Amino acid sequence: MNNKPTGYNNRLGIKGWAYAGRYSMERYLYLGHRLSGLGLIAYMVLHIVETANRIRGEQAWAGLMALFASPPFKVIEYLLFIMAVFHAMNGIRLILIELGFFLGKPKEPVYPYSTSVLRHRPLTYIIMVLAGLLIIFGGSSMFFK
Amino acid sequence: MTTAPTTSRELTFRVRRFDPDTGSAPHWDSYTVNVAEGMTVLEALHQIKAEKEPTLAWRSSCRMGVCGSCGMFINDLPRLACQTQVLHLGTHVITVAPLPNYPNVKDLVPNLEPLIEKHAAIKPFIIHPNSQEVDEPTGEFLQIAEEREAFSQFTYCIKCGLCLAACPTVATDPLFLGPQALAQAYRYTADNRDCGVEERLESIDMFHGPYQCHMAGACSVACPKGVDPAFGIQLLKRTLVLDSIGFGKKKSSVAKVSPLADVVKAIEEFAPPPRTVSQ
Amino acid sequence: MRETRLWSLHLLAIPIIFVLLGMHLAIMHYAPVFYGMSVDKAREFGTMIERGKSVVQFVLYILLLIAGLYHGLYGLRGILRELPLTPTLIKVVDIGILTFGLLIFALGTYVTWWTFSFKAGG
Repeated sequence: MNNKPTGYNNRLGIKGWAYAGRYSMERYLYLGHRLSGLGLIAYMVLHIVETANRIRGEQAWAGLMALFASPPFKVIEYLLFIMAVFHAMNGIRLILIELGFFLGKPKEPVYPYSTSVLRHRPLTYIIMVLAGLLIIFGGSSMFFK
Repeated sequence: MTTAPTTSRELTFRVRRFDPDTGSAPHWDSYTVNVAEGMTVLEALHQIKAEKEPTLAWRSSCRMGVCGSCGMFINDLPRLACQTQVLHLGTHVITVAPLPNYPNVKDLVPNLEPLIEKHAAIKPFIIHPNSQEVDEPTGEFLQIAEEREAFSQFTYCIKCGLCLAACPTVATDPLFLGPQALAQAYRYTADNRDCGVEERLESIDMFHGPYQCHMAGACSVACPKGVDPAFGIQLLKRTLVLDSIGFGKKKSSVAKVSPLADVVKAIEEFAPPPRTVSQ
Repeated sequence: MRETRLWSLHLLAIPIIFVLLGMHLAIMHYAPVFYGMSVDKAREFGTMIERGKSVVQFVLYILLLIAGLYHGLYGLRGILRELPLTPTLIKVVDIGILTFGLLIFALGTYVTWWTFSFKAGG
């Protein structure tokens, strides 16, 4: 395949992940899913390394837990929680639609055209409302001792 | 969609210009056009070329939304210029740029070779177990209405390329097959006359295949013919996953050749498809 | 079918992570709600070791480690490979991510085993 056709390179690049035009909400859910995924994998690796501190003994562990109980870390924890809830709930939507569920059946296109994007919108709204509720009630963890 | 005003008005068209012969970077030029109701962006471009800027270049042909030539990035969405009513855009300034994610040949002309090459790569033709029958037919392949409806909407693709301009993966990955090719791959694998999943695997089951589609849905929003390529790609993923665990389409289930008498009988037995135009 | 299989595993990891991570969050962040103990107590060294001695806990943690690392690193590989890379960089990304994943898995498994076999005073 010819990878270098002629002409001025008009490819959007990484900017195109963030914004490429006035598309529907799902385009921004894709961006949010990507960003939250990156944040979560970075956190997961850090978390595995940080919890490995237990092998340094009880005192080292207690010091680490005291640090994580401080207010700034509680806020960071909550932000991570928001990312995890969004990624998980949107992920449920994606696993369902990427296997072809909730998208309707193929049929002759009749103008004005319906798209699978709009047909699964009710599922998207339900998922987002559930995510919102989890995020709101999940915030209670910031106040637990 | 805004209600179109009935009086004609002067609107500004901001058009992206690029001349490969000068070697300078693309820039924007503005033109005022007296726009009447019913005028499309394509007609406005013709007027600009006739009255103000004879060197303005773009690609167009049928001017009625069937050839797919006039794809442009108009007011932040990829659209067919002949199908875009200027007054329905609802803005005083209309920005017209070449389709993103394609090399820009000149002004508003995209180089659509990537689209065509990717389309060719997925083998966009019926692959039947009896290839001699395909080349030298002796009868018809039977296909009832339900079998046709399973993939029919994906046959309406006019290869305009708006979907690749919309896709976020195409924005960074030059090797990604793109919504058009992947939806066409589904069109053929879902066709009951086709058994080509194995033959197409090499070009589809690779990193730059359907799994780099993350259902942003922009391609389906952009598609001017209701093809809904995002839908085709998700169905393709389902087909491939089922195939990988042994539930794929069997070669024995592919449509066989039927003599004419059987075809007539099939037509008589099955009802015609439902009307799509109200009476 | 290689890419299809890799992606199918990525999807298979989702329900595993959903359940096991949910349980993990319940213990570590919502202990007062689900376990009737304070968060501080749930995170204490002693409580952690006690939890870690269960065979079920050991197996589930390793499973969560595998599922989480595979799902996350497959996603990261996808994001990096979608950038226009040279063939050399493609190899670097693929092999680098695989190696990194195996190392982190080894660390996580070692720590889980260390907790499981912890003897007080030694």
